[in-house]
Amino acid sequence: MPITTTRRRLLAGSVATLALPAFARAQGAAKPRLTAISQWSAGSDGAAITALGKKFEEKGGVWQHSPVPGFTTEMMNKLRAQIMAGDPPACSQLKGPEIAAWSKIAPTVDLDAVVAAAGYEKVVAPDLAKLHKPAGKWIALPLQIYSTNMLFLSKRAMDKAKADKVPVTWADFNDLAEKMKSGGVNHPIANGGTRPDDGQKFEAALAGISPAAYRAAIMNLDEKALKGPEIKAAFAQVRKIADWMDPNVGAQHFSTNLKRFVDGDMGMMIMGGWAQGVLRNAGFKFEDFVIAPGPSDNSKPVFLLNADAFIFWQRKEPDLQAGQTLMAQLVMDPAIQTMYSQITGSIPVRTDVDLSGEGWSEGQRTTAKALKDAIASNQAVLSMAHNMAQENGMTAAMIDVITEYVKNKSIKPEQAATRLAEAVEGAR
Amino acid sequence: MIWVPLLLSAAHLISFSLWTIWISFTPSTLIPVSGWVGLRNYSAVLASRNWQIAFDNLLLFGGAFVVLSAATGLILAILLDQRIRGENVLRSIFLYPLAVSFVVTGTVWSWLLNPGLGIQKLVHDLGWTSFRFDWLIDRDMAIWTIVIAAIWQSSGFAMALFLAGLRSVDADIIKAAQIDGAGPVRIYRRIILPSLWPITITVAVIQLQFAISTFDLVRALTNGGPGIATQLPALVVYDLMFQRSLLGRGAAAAVLMLLILLAVLLPYAAWRYIQRRRAAHA
Repeated sequence: MPITTTRRRLLAGSVATLALPAFARAQGAAKPRLTAISQWSAGSDGAAITALGKKFEEKGGVWQHSPVPGFTTEMMNKLRAQIMAGDPPACSQLKGPEIAAWSKIAPTVDLDAVVAAAGYEKVVAPDLAKLHKPAGKWIALPLQIYSTNMLFLSKRAMDKAKADKVPVTWADFNDLAEKMKSGGVNHPIANGGTRPDDGQKFEAALAGISPAAYRAAIMNLDEKALKGPEIKAAFAQVRKIADWMDPNVGAQHFSTNLKRFVDGDMGMMIMGGWAQGVLRNAGFKFEDFVIAPGPSDNSKPVFLLNADAFIFWQRKEPDLQAGQTLMAQLVMDPAIQTMYSQITGSIPVRTDVDLSGEGWSEGQRTTAKALKDAIASNQAVLSMAHNMAQENGMTAAMIDVITEYVKNKSIKPEQAATRLAEAVEGAR
Repeated sequence: MIWVPLLLSAAHLISFSLWTIWISFTPSTLIPVSGWVGLRNYSAVLASRNWQIAFDNLLLFGGAFVVLSAATGLILAILLDQRIRGENVLRSIFLYPLAVSFVVTGTVWSWLLNPGLGIQKLVHDLGWTSFRFDWLIDRDMAIWTIVIAAIWQSSGFAMALFLAGLRSVDADIIKAAQIDGAGPVRIYRRIILPSLWPITITVAVIQLQFAISTFDLVRALTNGGPGIATQLPALVVYDLMFQRSLLGRGAAAAVLMLLILLAVLLPYAAWRYIQRRRAAHA
């Protein structure tokens, strides 16, 4: 039980804190200590960060992780409260453009020296690196990567459709969905009904149709691109996807329907790589499904990046500063990234980690290869639905339009495109 | 020394309200900052689609919920008032939903109303396959699922107040009417129900202020969806403040909610004042 472990760890941590001042004085040198907050408390996420904490302790550190379970916003509320009280954690979970936004409200740690010593910059995707050094200096470190547009195919649904070819383009995808429908798969698309779920459908469609249009419209908010034909085409594709989904899902989480997906009652799922970990935790086998990069009309993989990261907040205490250095070294360490990703089902941030060994799944190897290919063809872009492309306010304004469009079939693709451009204008 | 806690709570209430009002005029985003942007936050909120939908929903939900929950409560109270056996047990049962948290109510109803899992599926499995009850996923009807769950939760409360009102009607008047030959329907219509007016207004005001601040129920039941069809003002405030990190705009939306509340409470206070004046003169 990860929760029990965390609690025990917390307890051990707090006892250690009480003992620490005397201990440090006696030693004369600071024993590394790290206060950290994240939302990872249970499941594979909880297990992974607990394992990271154990490594931290093995190196002689004191690990004080306070998980804030629930949505990311709840973790952020705690972080906000601690920052306003002048007592930020030494390190906290934060990702994407929020790193830049939050770094303006409290001083962060300059990690340039420790990053340079590890030679980390060479092995990180350039767009990703930029997010973690908003003012030119490294202040945060990415920990693991997911792609939000992986395509999961149910083996049983493929059998029903008498198909064995993995779709590459959206046209292939639409063909396969039709085949599944006529082969007796009730809902060719498996889905949940949450906001990010709907957002992922759109970003996968747009980036698959044109990564360049995605970069211009969604990442750079270019006005002309936002009114371009690719946006309308993406909305039209989303309508097709929505028509193949089970309308009864309401506001359910995607994991509610995994059994129906594996059973072949639902056919394909466009979901982040984390679904692999969820499927595995739910007791399903790798033989039940196939993982492939999401559809891409130019046949080269498009990778919608989502990366979890830690931001480091400035503290005066020498033991916390020592803890921050140790933590940074651990997070960049290929062995630690391997351990972490093998627990959660993500892929390492470092592009030089070898995934051929045991402990990696076929899905992870496919994902890592997709990332490498996508970087090579400049088709690795930042996920909008998971708050990597824009700050939360802009993302929420875009998803408002998308989620309404997914659920309201009377809205035309052209109307949706106009509304998206207006929403962006309003949130600027 | 009743004024000490009163003073404390008033100070607490007023200071936080003033603080929110102040924030609503600042350019605050992630954290509160000083500065002055005039009414810009207000115009941004009022112009947003989310708020417009939330406000329309509030009118519909507030109206339907207040009328229907009062009506259900009144009918339950009248039925319970017939000197029936097991009244105490029934009263507890009807009042019990009030003890359940709105999050629980919302979650339970979200399963019951889900067409693929709940009532519709049950009826289908029983053999009536053309039966449709899919309001939860129907944009136009989804707001009514919130009305249903809210009525289930709080009509027991209205019932309890109405029951107390029914019991306080002077038995002598009723007896006099019976001697004059009035039937039960006539007695209810002409004597008992008119005497319930003050209670009806109290019930309506209490339910209305609840309707305006509804948050947890919607969050658990539809989370504002399908799409953004069931947004309510409290959801918009939370969304702006904590999900979009726009403290200033969220505060502006919160102040707008306060204004809506005052639009209900001030007339009520005036009405109470006039009533009391009249009673003193009579």
